[in-house]
Amino acid sequence: MADNKPVLEIEDLSVAYVTGSGLVHAVNDVNLKVYPNEIVGLIGESGSGKSTMAYTIMRLLKGDAVVTKGRVKILGQDVYQLSKKELRQFRWSKMAMVFQSAMSALNPVMTVETQILDALLSHRKDMTKEQARTRARELMELVRIDPKHLKSYPHELSGGMRQRVVIAIAIALNPALVIMDEPTTALDVVVQRSILDEIRKIQQEVGFAILFVSHDFSLVAELASRVAIMYAGRIIEVTPSDLLHLQEKHHPYTEGLLKAIPELTAEDVTIQGIGGYPPDLQDLPSGCAFHPRCPYATDICRRVRPEKLAVGDKLIECHLFNEKELVSHV
Amino acid sequence: MSNATKTPATGTALLEVKDLVVHFPIGKGQFIRPVDRVSFSIGPGEVLSLVGESGSGKSTIGKALVRMIEPADGSILVGGRDVTHIRGREIKEYRKEAQMVFQDPFGSLNPTRSIEQHLAFPVRKYRTNKDVSVSEQIDELLTKVGLTPVAETRRKFPHELSGGQRQRVAIARALAVNPKFIVADEPISMLDVSIRAGVLKLMNDLRNDLNLAFLYITHDLASARYIGNRIMVLYGGKVMETAPSAELIKAPTHPYTRLLLTATPGTRHRGPLPETSNSAPNLLEGRKGCPFANRCPLVSEVCRNEEPPLREMSNGHAVACHHPA
Repeated sequence: MADNKPVLEIEDLSVAYVTGSGLVHAVNDVNLKVYPNEIVGLIGESGSGKSTMAYTIMRLLKGDAVVTKGRVKILGQDVYQLSKKELRQFRWSKMAMVFQSAMSALNPVMTVETQILDALLSHRKDMTKEQARTRARELMELVRIDPKHLKSYPHELSGGMRQRVVIAIAIALNPALVIMDEPTTALDVVVQRSILDEIRKIQQEVGFAILFVSHDFSLVAELASRVAIMYAGRIIEVTPSDLLHLQEKHHPYTEGLLKAIPELTAEDVTIQGIGGYPPDLQDLPSGCAFHPRCPYATDICRRVRPEKLAVGDKLIECHLFNEKELVSHV
Repeated sequence: MSNATKTPATGTALLEVKDLVVHFPIGKGQFIRPVDRVSFSIGPGEVLSLVGESGSGKSTIGKALVRMIEPADGSILVGGRDVTHIRGREIKEYRKEAQMVFQDPFGSLNPTRSIEQHLAFPVRKYRTNKDVSVSEQIDELLTKVGLTPVAETRRKFPHELSGGQRQRVAIARALAVNPKFIVADEPISMLDVSIRAGVLKLMNDLRNDLNLAFLYITHDLASARYIGNRIMVLYGGKVMETAPSAELIKAPTHPYTRLLLTATPGTRHRGPLPETSNSAPNLLEGRKGCPFANRCPLVSEVCRNEEPPLREMSNGHAVACHHPA
C-alpha cells in the first residue's frame, strides 16, 4: 500500500466559517491520505468537523466557509486549483459523494433513470443515450435493484432502495474516490447491514477508494481498514481498525468512545460515558481541546497543544504518548 | 395466548397491557393495525425494552400507554385501574403517573422558554409536595438529572444546551410530576456516542433510586440489553419474541430476532443475511399468517395462512413462530 500513490491527500488543511463573531475553525491542521481501493473511516461527533471535511474535499463548501490553509489533492491534482469548468468535469468523474439523506439527494419529480442518465451524459460527451441507458441498467444490477425501477420515482422506493440508487449514481462514472457521509444513518439496522455488505462487495468488484464518514464506531470498525478519529476539528488519532479495541492503547478520547458503547454479546455489560460535553468551537479549551473531559489530563495538556506523532500507519495527538513507539505513558 | 408473557407475579404488576390494538383508517373503510393484540406487563422499577424497526409499532405502543392515542381494543391497566378509554380530566390526572420522553430533544423543548420555565410549568400544575417551594423542586429535579450547577442551568435556553443536556431537561420535566413510569421513545438515538452512555446511566439510576419503571423504545439491541430487564421484539405490530434480556441475546429463537442480531454492527457477521427479501410488513387489518413470512428463511405453508400464537418456551421466554429454533 505504501508505494501506491494516494488517491486523496489532505495536507495541513484548515477550514473556517465566517460568522458575526469572527472565524470559527471547524477543521484544523488536518492531514490524511487515502490509497487506491482503501476504505478509510472518519469518525466524529456532531461538530467535530467531519462533514465539513467531506464537503471541503468535494469543494462543495458554501459561501460562509473558507479554506484558510492547506491543500486537498485528488490523484495528485489540487482540487482548489481547478477552474470552475474543470471542476465540474473533475467532480463526479474522479470524486463522488453519497449524502446522508437519500430522499433529499434525489430529485422527487424525476425518474431514477433520468437522474442516472443526467450524471452520465453531462460528463461523458461521447456517450450516446443508448449507451447511457445500458450503463444505467448495469448500475442498477450492481446495487441489486430490479432495473424495472429505472422508471420509478424516488417516493415509490423504500429508504434502502433510494440509498442504493444514490450509490449507483455516485459510482456511475467510475470515480477513484467516493465520499460517503453517514449513508446509512437514517436506515433500519437490517437495511443498513445489507447496504454495507453491498458497498463492500461493489468496492471490491469495481475498485475505488472510500472515505466513510460516520459517528458510529462499531459500524466503521467493521467496514474500514483504517479509521481516523476527529475531535474539535482535529484528527486526534489514526489507527488500523483491527486495533480498535480496549486491549490497545488509544487516545483517551478514542478510549472513552470505546467504553461508551454497550457491548451486545459480552457476559457483563458495563458502559462509561465521557464526562462533560463536546466543546464550543468558538471558544476552544486551551492546550489540548479534549483536556477538560480527559481523565488523564495533566498540567501540560492544559497549556500546550500536543504535536502530531506519526509512526507507520498510526497517528496520534496526545501528550501521553511517546515519540518512538507510540506507547502510552499511562 | 396473552398469558404467555405475564411475569410470574402478576399481582404486583404496575402496568398491565392486554391484547392492545391500535388501528388507523386509511380510507375506503379499510384500517391498518400498527399494533395488533400486544400483551405485556411491567413491574415497579422494571425496564422493558421494546425493539423493532420503523413501522413495527413500537412508538405507537408507547403513545397508547401514555394515552396520546386511544386504543381500538384491549386494555391498559395501571396500578389496577383501567385507563384504556379515559378522557379529558382523567387523562390529565393520569399524566401524573405516566410520562413520556421523546426522541428529538431539539423539537421537544420550546426555544423561547428558559429551562426554569420548562420545569416550573409541570411542577406548578401538578404540585405533589406543597411543603417544598416550586423553586426548590426545580433545583432538585435539575440535580437529579445531573444538570449542575443548577443556578446556571435554570437561566439557560434550549439553544444553549447540547443534545445530551436537552434530553436531561426532558427527563427532568417528565420527573416533575413524580410519575410511576416513563415511556422513553428512542431517547438516545439522536445523541452523540460519548453522551449516550450518560443518559442511559441516568435512566438506570432513576430506576434504582426512585423505583421508576420504563418502557424503553429502541431499534438498538445493545442498549436494549444494557438497560432492559426484558426485551420484547416487535415486527409488523406483533410480538415476535420476548425474554429476559441476556437470554434473548444469547438464545434467540425467532428468525426475526436472529436477523436483527446478525445485522447489528459489532457482531462481525459476514455473508448473506438470514432473510429472503427486505419487503415491509403488511399492516392491513385482516391479514393472514405471520407478518414476517415474506422475509423468513424458514417460511412454510402454515406461516402464510396461520398466525403463530405467542407460546412460552421456558420461564419468561415466549416466541410467536411456527418453526422456532
